[in-house]
Amino acid sequence: MSEVSEKKTAEKEAMKKLRAARKETIKRAADKMKKQKNAIKDIKKQLKDKAGTVPEIAEATGIPSSEVLWYLAALKNYGQILEGEKDGSYFRYKWAGNAPEDPGE
Amino acid sequence: MPKILKFDALVIGAGIAGLQAALDLADQDFKVAIVEKDATIGGKMIRLSKVFPTLDCASCITTPKMAAAAHHENITLFTYCDLQSLDRNGNGVTAAVRQKTRFVDEEKCIGCRQCEYQCPVYVSDPEQGGFSGRKAIYIPFSNAIPQIALMDVENCTLCGKCARVCPTQAVNFFQEPQDFLIEAQTAVLATGFEVTPLENKQQYGEGKIPNVITALQMERLLAPHGPYNRVLRPSDGMEPDSIAYIQCAGSRDKSMGVPYCSRVCCMYAIKQAMLLSGALPLADITIYYMDIRAFGKGYEQFFQNAKAMGIEFVKGKVATISEGENGGVRLHYESQEDGGGVTSAEHDLVVLSLGMVAGWNPDGHCRISTGSDAFIKTVKPKIAPTLTEMEGVFVAGAAAGPKDIVDSIVEAGAAAMEASKYLASLNRSVKAVA
Repeated sequence: MSEVSEKKTAEKEAMKKLRAARKETIKRAADKMKKQKNAIKDIKKQLKDKAGTVPEIAEATGIPSSEVLWYLAALKNYGQILEGEKDGSYFRYKWAGNAPEDPGE
Repeated sequence: MPKILKFDALVIGAGIAGLQAALDLADQDFKVAIVEKDATIGGKMIRLSKVFPTLDCASCITTPKMAAAAHHENITLFTYCDLQSLDRNGNGVTAAVRQKTRFVDEEKCIGCRQCEYQCPVYVSDPEQGGFSGRKAIYIPFSNAIPQIALMDVENCTLCGKCARVCPTQAVNFFQEPQDFLIEAQTAVLATGFEVTPLENKQQYGEGKIPNVITALQMERLLAPHGPYNRVLRPSDGMEPDSIAYIQCAGSRDKSMGVPYCSRVCCMYAIKQAMLLSGALPLADITIYYMDIRAFGKGYEQFFQNAKAMGIEFVKGKVATISEGENGGVRLHYESQEDGGGVTSAEHDLVVLSLGMVAGWNPDGHCRISTGSDAFIKTVKPKIAPTLTEMEGVFVAGAAAGPKDIVDSIVEAGAAAMEASKYLASLNRSVKAVA
């Protein structure tokens, strides 16, 4: 076995051990990620063709409005959401076309 | 045997007081180490929107000091480090310090944030008051110093995307904490403050009533790089028409264990109210207060300006808060005006002006005690307010008690001067012996 492949095998083994040691936290984080992916997918579906306000998105997706706003703020931070026009007391949000990363996909 | 690093002076805490003390010492050619518990320097001040009474942009006036400290040839920064102990050692002090694990190699990380963009897990971002999400691997904020990523292992799935995308192979899942010692001749404690926890007051909903937020959260809503880039109600994204401040929500309140005045809440509430008047010109802004303490230079005029701008000041202590209609918040208070009496009012958004509590308890770390207020005890509070019980160890800023930014900077200069005098006296002793 070459030195490079030996190193790779050792790294894989170490990662395996680390995964076993962090089993509980990985499961919690993975469950959270799965829930987030579903929520983002639902929000994206609502906003892909038409801009929406937080209450509109909340009603269409069934996600509580405070969570919708949290997701919109987080996604806006990473360039996936754009703020649109004001509609009454609310702003409209739309999906950004050229998102650098899209966990909803 | 842990690594030993030697400096003339050690500063604990890299908030505005710690940075000022370090810069004042470093400018006198002393070699200074700064130990900071957070992943970035800048303390509370870098997280603020603007400062009173000048309404200067907090970031604009803090960032130069952060950069000056980071680039100063006589200053070495140790961020994301915990102070384990601080002991006298002959003529100086020895600090045992633990470098916490970033799981990112500090030497290799170039702060490109590619790991952050690729990470698939979102985590509530305390730097944005919890109103937005960051990733499980992240750089604290855009003007953080140093620009080094760190990993939140509690939210990491070990998917490895961050490591694969990193152009410098800086991600290290196996990093361990590193212990080291800092030996210095003198030290300045600038450990700052925290705010009284929102959960501590049952009458104010213990943090469970929607649209009741803290003043530090409002700072983020008002900041240029805030979570929404504007002021919105966190429950549903509505632009609020009516905002209320509850003064002394975490100070002068024995039931919360904080009987003292926090000295800054009146002024920061007035400042935020003025900023809100600019951000939301049509909104009604009301401040419920017991009495306004505008004692600093220019503060009374600032208060009068706020009244002239149309901000309403209602004299009365809010007793309880309850959920109102359509996401509103109902305040129940005893008015001390217009004949008095128990009354109530509803607002779209309510801000609790929480007080200041000690940021660090020296118990178990060093032989310095605290006063009845839990802040670091000073031995000559009138004539030398930066002296602590430990020889050669001084205190600056909110570590010694609640104070505003101006007083913190002044006290940091005083602490640096005391430390400088102490260093000079040690050098004189050495020369006399020689």
